[in-house]
Amino acid sequence: MKRKICLIDNFETCKEVFREKLNKKLSVNMYMNTIWYKSLLNADKSCIKEEKIRKIHYKFDDDREMVEEYNTDTKVLLRRAWKVKGKLGCDGKWDVEVGDPIPEAVISNDCADIIESKDQPVVTRRNTRVNLEWRIRNLPYPIETYCIKANNDDKCIIVSTTNKKYYKKLQVPELKRLGLNVDQANIQSSHKFNTLIIMYKKPQQLLDMEMEWFKEVEKVKPIKDIPNECKTH
Amino acid sequence: MTSLAAAQVQEVRSITRIERIGAHSHIRGLGLDDALEPRAVSQGMVGQKMARKAAGVILQMIREGKIAGRAVLLAGQPGTGKTAIAMGLAQALGPDTPFTSMAGSEIYSLEMSKTEALTQAIRKSIGIRIKEESEIIEGEVVEVVVERGIGAGGARTGRLTLKTTDMETNYDMGTKMIDSLLKEKVQAGDVITIDKATGKINRLGRSFARARDYDATGQQARFVQCPEGELQKRKEVVHTVTLHEVDVINSRTHGFLALFSGDTGEIKSEIREQINCKVAEWREEGKAEMIPGVLFIDEAHMLDIECFSFMNRALESDTAPIVIMATNRGITRIRGTNYKSPHGIPLDLLDRMIIVPTAPYSHQELREILNIRCEEEDCQMSADALTVLTRVATETSLRYAIQLITTASLVARRRKATEVSMEDVKKVYSLFLDEHRSEQFLKEYQDEFMFNDGSGDGHQMDIMH
Repeated sequence: MKRKICLIDNFETCKEVFREKLNKKLSVNMYMNTIWYKSLLNADKSCIKEEKIRKIHYKFDDDREMVEEYNTDTKVLLRRAWKVKGKLGCDGKWDVEVGDPIPEAVISNDCADIIESKDQPVVTRRNTRVNLEWRIRNLPYPIETYCIKANNDDKCIIVSTTNKKYYKKLQVPELKRLGLNVDQANIQSSHKFNTLIIMYKKPQQLLDMEMEWFKEVEKVKPIKDIPNECKTH
Repeated sequence: MTSLAAAQVQEVRSITRIERIGAHSHIRGLGLDDALEPRAVSQGMVGQKMARKAAGVILQMIREGKIAGRAVLLAGQPGTGKTAIAMGLAQALGPDTPFTSMAGSEIYSLEMSKTEALTQAIRKSIGIRIKEESEIIEGEVVEVVVERGIGAGGARTGRLTLKTTDMETNYDMGTKMIDSLLKEKVQAGDVITIDKATGKINRLGRSFARARDYDATGQQARFVQCPEGELQKRKEVVHTVTLHEVDVINSRTHGFLALFSGDTGEIKSEIREQINCKVAEWREEGKAEMIPGVLFIDEAHMLDIECFSFMNRALESDTAPIVIMATNRGITRIRGTNYKSPHGIPLDLLDRMIIVPTAPYSHQELREILNIRCEEEDCQMSADALTVLTRVATETSLRYAIQLITTASLVARRRKATEVSMEDVKKVYSLFLDEHRSEQFLKEYQDEFMFNDGSGDGHQMDIMH
């Protein structure tokens, strides 16, 4: 009798260990099976190395274009931008997903005759090695005002305020691409200098994938002779 | 009944009117009933029943959109309402159907070849309805503030505050946006949507929260809920653009060179071909829909033989619009040749056309038109003054009589009268010559004018040949 229990016990632990192993194996492989990772692999990649920044240009099969900028020392993604093309074919602007927005050389006032005032909240993204980060500037209200909730129906983080002055759905494309859920426990926030900072701890899957992908990126040979006519000394 | 309706229309227009009063601004449609039968006086149209009925049939043909590349010729004496019928047709088609209006002489330019100008005009007359995702701002108006800049020519700046149940945002507006907000009469408490790319404003209704603001609200006041969530949303909207606009978007030089190339000039035929392919693809996939419109060429006798033969070919394409031409010429020389032809249009093109004649107006119709123009130009006229004016119109021309309306009303205003009397009309009739009296005057005093050595007749003969 005793032995039997022991056997079951043993079996249970065995199962547990096995499941853990299986999970680990699965989790290692899972991101490799996502459409996102495959499209990254299949994309046409070209690379420019500028001092400590490695810029990668991707051209996907469906004609979309993306640019990533990596810091070669810290291996952190500094910027990721997508080229937005109008359906009718006007030349596209760059839509920045992560990183500081690209300052526009010429302010085009032909289309948008209505824009948010300068003093209105602006969202920017900046990732660190372990966190996904959102900074919302121009938000003067104290920290108690904000309610930051993970929403898994839309796979986004919803920021709302008790004074009904601000409401924003923050998309988390990194998680969406890997098919991961947004976990409330991973969200942290702080508020200073009129800026609300929201941090989301990167899940293991994402960390693994980014590590793996950086290795992949390093394989892309940078173009050696760039005609840099804009350099002035 | 009609005058009551007209008065109401007048009242509504006086508030929203920004445009100036043009020669055909009193025309608001073809004046047809649901069965496309012409009403005697309606929507600014008077008489010309047969031509209007014909235009009604053409309207139906355009609306169905199945027939491509038909040509219609409006032929008639000057001042018989050819342009008016074309304008009425444009109004009846509504803003969603492209209607391009041009004069025959517009194609002669140093920057563009004649055929390029014609091709552009044709492509301006074909619309594409396409679904595109676009940024929409949807919210309840909290406040609209418009400030005028310092100095006489100071640019206006505006601020608009919008809210949803969850948030509130301030927007800065440019002049164009301010104008369209004022035109739509947007005020605090309205729920509106703004298309960020095109700046199009749509009033959805008034917010329920404001339902008690006024005791009396108009019948058409519709109450809606204040929107929820974010102010800016991405939504699928249907745009109507013309083929020419797509051409221009795609032909612009990229990069900073775009700064220096203002005008589009000629568009390469490769680009047009690419776009035709693209559009065909979209239509196949059901993403886009083609709306054939109308190209109206006034003074069509000013086109020359090359244009006519180009039109012959262009009309055969299945993407051609309906082409309406108007001319006031009889049998005359075709421009660019020495041959004579009816309406100055070659016989092979005439053969492809359906011809709608317009006839001179009757006395009663002239009186009705002058009456409508008086209303349009905001001028009170006594009955006998109108009778005199009608006689002027029958004896000289309708256009001359219309010129006398505002001039007479200015004379009347100077003597501080509210109504234009017969004397005022007589006064301006003596002040301003019509074409016939001017000719008489010239014949009498010809010898005293410059460069007259008495051989003027011989010179005229030269031109005739």
